[in-house]
Parts: sequence; structure tokens; C-alpha cells
Amino acid sequence: MSTVRFVTREIGSLGKPSWRVKSFAGRPLEAADIEEAERWGRRLEVADYEQLLELLRSAPFGAAELATIDDWAARYALRLLERAGLDVVYDGEQRRTEMYDHVAAFARGFEQRGTVRSFDNKYYTKAAVVEPPTVEGPQDVEELRFVQEHTDREVKVPLTGAYTMVDWSYDEHYAHEGALGASAERRYEARRGFVTDVAENVIRPNVEGLVEAGAHWVQIDEPAATTKPDEVPLVVHGFNAAFSGVEGVEKKSMHICFSDYSALWPAVLELEDCFELQLEFANRDSRELGTRDEDRPGYADTLRLFREHGYPGVGLGVLDIHSDFVEPAELVRDRILYAVEALGGPERIQVNPDCGLRTRSWDVVYDKLANMVEGTRLAEEELNRAHAAPAVG
Amino acid sequence: MIVEGEPRLRAPLPAPDLPEGRWLATLPSPLAFARAAGNAVSAQTMAASVLAPQIEAYASAGCALVVLSDPFLAREGGVEEGLAAIGELPSGVPLALQLPFGDAAPLLEALADAPVSAIGVDFYSTSLDAIEDGYPKEIVAGVVDSRSSAMEDPEEIAGFVEALSQRHPAGIAVSVNGDLQFVPETIAREKLARLGRASVALKEGALA
Repeated sequence: MSTVRFVTREIGSLGKPSWRVKSFAGRPLEAADIEEAERWGRRLEVADYEQLLELLRSAPFGAAELATIDDWAARYALRLLERAGLDVVYDGEQRRTEMYDHVAAFARGFEQRGTVRSFDNKYYTKAAVVEPPTVEGPQDVEELRFVQEHTDREVKVPLTGAYTMVDWSYDEHYAHEGALGASAERRYEARRGFVTDVAENVIRPNVEGLVEAGAHWVQIDEPAATTKPDEVPLVVHGFNAAFSGVEGVEKKSMHICFSDYSALWPAVLELEDCFELQLEFANRDSRELGTRDEDRPGYADTLRLFREHGYPGVGLGVLDIHSDFVEPAELVRDRILYAVEALGGPERIQVNPDCGLRTRSWDVVYDKLANMVEGTRLAEEELNRAHAAPAVG
Repeated sequence: MIVEGEPRLRAPLPAPDLPEGRWLATLPSPLAFARAAGNAVSAQTMAASVLAPQIEAYASAGCALVVLSDPFLAREGGVEEGLAAIGELPSGVPLALQLPFGDAAPLLEALADAPVSAIGVDFYSTSLDAIEDGYPKEIVAGVVDSRSSAMEDPEEIAGFVEALSQRHPAGIAVSVNGDLQFVPETIAREKLARLGRASVALKEGALA
């Protein structure tokens, strides 16, 4: 067995710093906001961060200044992920409002209908599709180019998947006519048509543009994947359609969080060239150390699905993004070691948080990610030591 | 939901200040309660210890109908368990079993003998063909889609209900197919207004 080395990465979002949020909202910055920019600039050793401080003190901001502030937020987020020690990075989605609105606002064919509850007391602005959706061109190429120019780490681009865009939208076009009392087949075909058009005419142009700009790893985010278990084939269809005919994507992966993962199989086996499913585990797990089944209730059932039904790889969620609890490195280590044992080896495993970290403060995020990296190194040491130990005859 | 100990109702939820016999209440069904608790408590326990005293309190306060909402039944099954638990509920006020956002077709035969007076069917998840001729329960027809921003046409609703009436169920009421929290408030209000217009059209038309 060659030396074990797990790749560490984030999933997507980071919270936006107050100085970025207030600047874009047109709200006055306070001393504390600028101090925060200074604190993190120093801590993360962001080059020339004093220029940001000077800019922030020069409010109000025009369009050009706001674009520069946006760039700084991306640079800070990149540096946070790099300094925490991650192998694979992006910009914490600093330029995006949130994963749904970012796409719906850019594409033609969606009209906003107002705010609705997403979960707990979180709300989002939900749009309706009123005509077949399209885009003028790729959406995130400039965002990617900036990341490429400001990091030497491997880059992974997160994109919202077609099925989630469909499931989180109202449908005033595909299913509106004759929906009342319609057969299940007709309803399914309407949904499939909607997913196909989003995948081919909204997501795929973005993928094409990103690949042309040098993206080699695209992660499709599908948090709605198991909302309706009988529609998992549509999730698969959307993924495959988004990449169909696009050459040059070296890595394709899918991120699904907070879902009933048993509903994914067997349909998920039809994902074309998807090397990894990045899933959430830590949210369901105990905080106790240990590598027995009873120590790792959050991992046992889902990893059994990988073992029994097969899948190329798993992006192992080892950080609970819904809690300020900072996982000790030893807990991360044990979660990884458990997964190695459950899957019969380390080859199929890479390491990430359960999901994006935008609900946590940067202080918590940094500590969690740093411990994730340290815990990953501890797991590697233990595995490499065990492999190197001479056999006892 | 985390269950610690035997659930019981500490005190009934207050009844609204509405005219006697002119209001209804919606509660989770016993099975929905049990499923939401990860089956850590039985549907029958939830029926006997939590829902029964609440329903009795509502009945005393002039409630005309208690709607038991069950989003799990169509997705996960459990009809026998669910109906046995409903059988533990008091009979002093009419009960309806609503199946929001699920295809009721596989369940309707078993629900024909349910200890409820009406079944709520989501007709944006269930085909009209699922209603057998002469169905012995009143159908609370979910004809307004609470998960869609598209505005229903009152004439289309009325036409659908007329088609439903041709299947001669024991009775028909018109309603939304689920909670209206899934659309913004302005849309919800307009949908209810259209439901009202459809209802008026039906009363003044062939079904009067």
C-alpha cells in the first residue's frame, strides 16, 4: 500500500465579512467592521490588506469601489482556507448572494415571487419559472479566473444543480396547464422537462465556460436530491445533462447534504463519470472519540450503503456545520479511521466539512478547518504507521 | 423531535374566538406525530394522551371539524397503524384525514373504512382517476396548490369539481392541498380568494 494521503477541501460557502455585507447594502461601516478587516488581514497575512482598510475608510462607495471590496472578500476567504491548510479551495462563494438566487437572478425565465421559509426561521426569495430558462453565457468565469490568479492550490468550482433549482422554484410554465388531477406520469414528465432545460440551457453553458477558462473540477450541489425520493432519477438526469458533450472536465462530483441517503441508490449509480459523492455525516454523529460502530452512529448506515451498493468515492463530512462546537483533531481522526475500516481502505475517501460554513463565524470556521486538517494528518500517521509496522510472526 | 418520557398533553391549546360550529382545527395525525418523533413513541399513545384531550377541548369550544394532517402516510405507508390510532380519538366532533402533498391513490381503498368522515386528497399529487365511483367518504378536494405560485382559475376549479362529482363520492368539499406557508402571503390570500370564487360558482351552478 502506498503512503496514505487524504485530500482536504471545503464544500462551498463561507459567511461574508461585515465590511463586505454593509458596503453592498449601503449601510455605514463602523470602527468594529474595519477592525475586523484589519484583524483578519493580519491573521491570514493577506498581502497589502492595508489598502482594503484605506478603501473601507473612504465610504461612500461607487460601483468600482464595490467591485474592489468584492475582490478583497474573495481574497480573504481564499487565504482563510489556505491558512487553515486545505488542499483544495475556492472563494467561499463571496460574490454569490446564495446558491439559489445566484442562478435564478442571472438566468432568463425566472421571476421572483417573494420570500418563503426555507428551514427554521431562515427565508429565501423564491422565483417562479415562467418560460423555458436560458442564459446569455457562462455566469462564473470571472469569479473562477480571480480565484485561479490568487491561489496556487487546486481549485474546485461549486455550482447549484439543475434538480435543486427546479425543486426550489415555483413552476408556472411546465406543469401549470392541466396540473389539477393530472396523472403521475404527466406530472413527472413536466418535472423532467423543467430539469432538462435548466441542466442544458442554464448549467451547461456555465460548465462549458468554466472549463474553457481552465476549471478542471466542478462540484454540483444538490441539497434537494432526496426531497422526493421517486425523483432521484431526475437528479441523475440533471447532472448528466449538465455535463453532456462538455470535454475537459477532469473531475465531476456531487454534494448532497442533510438527506435520506438510502434514497440515492440505485439511481445514483447512473451518474456519468461522477467520481465522488460529498455527503454530510458529522451532523448525525456523536462527539465521542472512538472507531466502533456505536461511537460513530452518523457514519455507519451511510457507509454501509457505499460498501453494499458501491460508489467510486466519498467526500467524508467530518465537521458539523450547524454547530459552533470545534471538533477536536482526534475526533476528526477517528471519523476518518472509522470510514477507512468501513470501506476496507482509504482509497475512496477524501475529507471535507459536512456542507458550506456560511452559518458560522470566521473564528469558528478557522478553528474547525484547522482541526480538520490536523485530524486528517493524525489519521494518515496512524494508517501509515500501521502499514509500516513489521508483521509479527 | 426528541422524546423523553411518556408524552401527555399538559394543557389544551386555546380555542379561537370564533362562532360555534363555524371553525375547524388542523392537528397532526397520530401517525404523523409518531413519525416525526422517529417512532420513539407510538401513534396510539399520541392519540390517547395528546390528541384526544385536545380534540375534546376543541369540541367543547364549538369546533365543527378537526382535520388530521398526515404528510407521511402517502410516502411511507402505515395505514393500519394510523387508522388504529385514529380509532382512539373522541367521536364528539367530526374528523377528516388530510393527505397533503402525496398521492392518495394507493391508500383510498383502505381509507374507505377509516373512522373519519372525510378524506383530504391533494389533486396536484393524485389523479382524478384515483376516485372510484361511489367512494363512501366525503372528499376534501385539494384543488388549490399551496406549493405553487401559479394562480388557479376559479372556472377550472369548478369544472374539476363537477368532474369529481360525476364519480359520486359521499360528499365533496373544496380546499387547498396543504399549508399555505409555502407561498408568500400575497399569493396565499389571492389563492384563497380564487377558491372562494370557485366555491360560489359551484354553489350557484350545477352542484347547487
